[in-house]
Amino acid sequence: MKYSKILKLNKELEHTIQSDQYNINILSNIIVHQLKELLEFNLRDKDINALVGIGDYDNIVQDSIKFKESNAIIIFWELCNIIDGLQYKIELLNRDRFNEILKKTKNEIDFVLRNLQKTSLVLINKFTAHSFSSLNIRKNKLEELADQLNQYIKKKIPANVRVVELEKVIANIGLEKSLDLRYFYSSKALYTVDFFKAYAEYIKPLLISANGKAKKALIFDCDNTLWKGILGEDGFDNIEMSSRTKDGAIFAEIQAMALALNKQGVLIGLCSKNNPEDVDEVIKSHSDMQLSSEHIAINKINWSDKVNNLKEIAEELNIGLDSLVFIDDSSFEVNLIKEQQPEITVLQVPKELHEYPKMLRENIGLFYNFSFTAEDRKKTEMYNQQAKREVVKREFIDIGDYLASLELKMIILKNDQSIIPRISQLSQKTNQFNLTTKRYTEGDIDNFINDPSSTVYGFSVSDKFGDSGVTGLSIVTVNQTTETAEIDSFLMSCRVIGRNVEYAFLDYIIQQIKEKKITVLNAKYNKTQKNELVKEFYDKCSFILTKSTDSVRHYKLDINNYEPNRLKYIEIVDEK
Amino acid sequence: MKNKIEERIKNVMSAVFEIAVDKFDEDSSPDNIESWGSLNHMKLIVSLEEEFNVQFTDDDITELINMKLIIAVLLEKLPVYRS
Repeated sequence: MKYSKILKLNKELEHTIQSDQYNINILSNIIVHQLKELLEFNLRDKDINALVGIGDYDNIVQDSIKFKESNAIIIFWELCNIIDGLQYKIELLNRDRFNEILKKTKNEIDFVLRNLQKTSLVLINKFTAHSFSSLNIRKNKLEELADQLNQYIKKKIPANVRVVELEKVIANIGLEKSLDLRYFYSSKALYTVDFFKAYAEYIKPLLISANGKAKKALIFDCDNTLWKGILGEDGFDNIEMSSRTKDGAIFAEIQAMALALNKQGVLIGLCSKNNPEDVDEVIKSHSDMQLSSEHIAINKINWSDKVNNLKEIAEELNIGLDSLVFIDDSSFEVNLIKEQQPEITVLQVPKELHEYPKMLRENIGLFYNFSFTAEDRKKTEMYNQQAKREVVKREFIDIGDYLASLELKMIILKNDQSIIPRISQLSQKTNQFNLTTKRYTEGDIDNFINDPSSTVYGFSVSDKFGDSGVTGLSIVTVNQTTETAEIDSFLMSCRVIGRNVEYAFLDYIIQQIKEKKITVLNAKYNKTQKNELVKEFYDKCSFILTKSTDSVRHYKLDINNYEPNRLKYIEIVDEK
Repeated sequence: MKNKIEERIKNVMSAVFEIAVDKFDEDSSPDNIESWGSLNHMKLIVSLEEEFNVQFTDDDITELINMKLIIAVLLEKLPVYRS
C-alpha cells in the first residue's frame, strides 16, 4: 500500500478505534519520523489503539527516563551517528579512542536498559554497519564496533527486551531500497519508507503478542490444503504429501510447519467438507501424514457450512473467533468466511503451489507469543545479579552523571561578526526550541550587533567526542534608563536538546545583564504550532508570568531574585 | 492531463499535511500551509515519488516548495504527460 494512503487510513482509524490506548515511544539518534504512522497503522488495523511518539533527536539516554512509563519502547540506535560522522571518522581513530567510544556506548546501553527495566516491552535494534560497508572484503572498523556492541547486548539482555534483527529487515528488501542518502547529510534521516514499512511489519508480531492478540489456533481444510488431491475422488492411495513427489513435497513442508507451530503451543485443527471416516483413516494410518491425532486438537469433518463449523471450533477450544486462522484452497469458501465472519483470519492456498510454504511462513508471525520461558526467567535472574555486582563500577547513576561523562563545554560568542550568516540561519530555521520565533536576515543581525543597546549571544557546544558548531542564539536588548532588559530571542537547535545547556546559557546571560546594573528582565513566549516544548521554560527558571493570552505569555524576572542553575557539568567558555 | 495530476497531488498533500483536499490550490506552500515543515516536506517528497513512480534529485527536493512547482517538475518527469 502506498505511504500517502496509509497516512490517510491511519488518520481515519484514529477516530474510529475504541480500545485502550497503547503507547509506544521511539527513542532514536537519527530521524525516523516516517515510522510513526506506519507502525500506528499496522497495529490499529489489528484493533490495537496504538499511539506512537518520537523522542527528541539524539536523546536516547534522556528519553529513556522521560518515557519509561510507555507500554512499549523502540530504541533505534544508529551506529553511524553514535558520534556525528562516525562512518568516516572511525577509520582514522586510534585504538584508545575506538575503545573509548565502545565503552561510552556500552555504558549508555546499560543506563538506558536500566532506566527501562520496568517497561513491559523494549525493542532494541541490533547494530549494523551494512549501510556503510559496501562489498568490501576487508572488515572496516564500523563493522568491528557493530560486532562488539552486538555481542555486548546479547550477553546482558534483560527479559523485557527483544533484539530486533535490523539486518534481516534490510536483507528482505535489499540494501539499495533500504537507504535514502539524500536526507542523510542534511537531516540525519537514513532509511526509506520501504524500509520502515518492512520494519513495522517485522516488529508487529511482538507488539500484537504484547497486546494479547496473538492467534492461538491454525485450522486447515484438507483437500489441496493439507495434501495434494481430493480424498473422496482420488482415493487414499493417490493423495500426495510426501517429498517423493514434486507437489507432495510442498504439502510435506506445510505439515512440518504445522507440526513445529504445534510444538510452540499453537492449536491445530481440521475443518473440511469430507466423509469423516475417510479423513479419520488418513490421520490414523496414512504413512505420509505427519499430523496425527495427538497434534490435532479438534476436527469438524462434515458437509455443513464452514462458518458454523469454525464458530463451533472456537467455542469448543474456548477461544475467540479472532484467535483463529483458517487455511483453505477454495476462493468461494475463503470469501464466504471473510464476508460472514471477518474476525477470522483466512488464508488462501496460492494458485502457484510453490508459493504456499512461503505464504504460510510470512504469516507465522500471527502466532508469535513471547510469554516468558523458563530460560527467560533464568536470564532475568542472571541480569539482576550482574546488575547488583556492577553497582560499584557503574559509570553513571543518574542523568547528571551521564551528562558529566560527556565533558560538555559551552563556548559563548558575543556580538561575533563572523557568525552572522549562521546566526541568521538559526533564527530562520529553528522551530521547536524557540521562545519567540522571530526570523532575522543577516542585515537584521548586523544591526543588532552594531546597536549598543542590544547584544547577540551565540553558542556552540562540544563534548569529548566533537563539536556541535553554532547551535544556540539569544538576542537581548537593554534600556539603561529604566534599568530593564528584554529577551528578544532565545533559541537552540534540536541537535543539542537534552543536555541542559539552555539553563547554563540563561545563567550566563543573566549574569551579563546583572553586570550592566539592570534590575528587571522581561521575556516572552510566542506560541507557534511547533514550540510547545518550551511553553514553560521561563516558569522553570523562576520567571513570573505576568500576563497570558492564547498566543503570548509575558514574563518578568527580578534579576536579584534569580537563582542560577549552576550546572557543574557544563563548562562555560567566554570567547569574547 | 494536468488536472488529473493536480488532483493526485492534492490527494497526497491532504494525506501528508492532514488537511482537506479542497484547501489546496496552485499557490499552496509552506507559507500558507502551517503543517508544511521540514519533516512533513520529507514525507511529501517520498509520497509523491511513490505516487508517480519518479525519483527527485537533491535540487528538486529543495525547489518543490509550492504546488505550481511540483506540477511543473512532475510534468517534466512524466513522459506520458509531455506533448
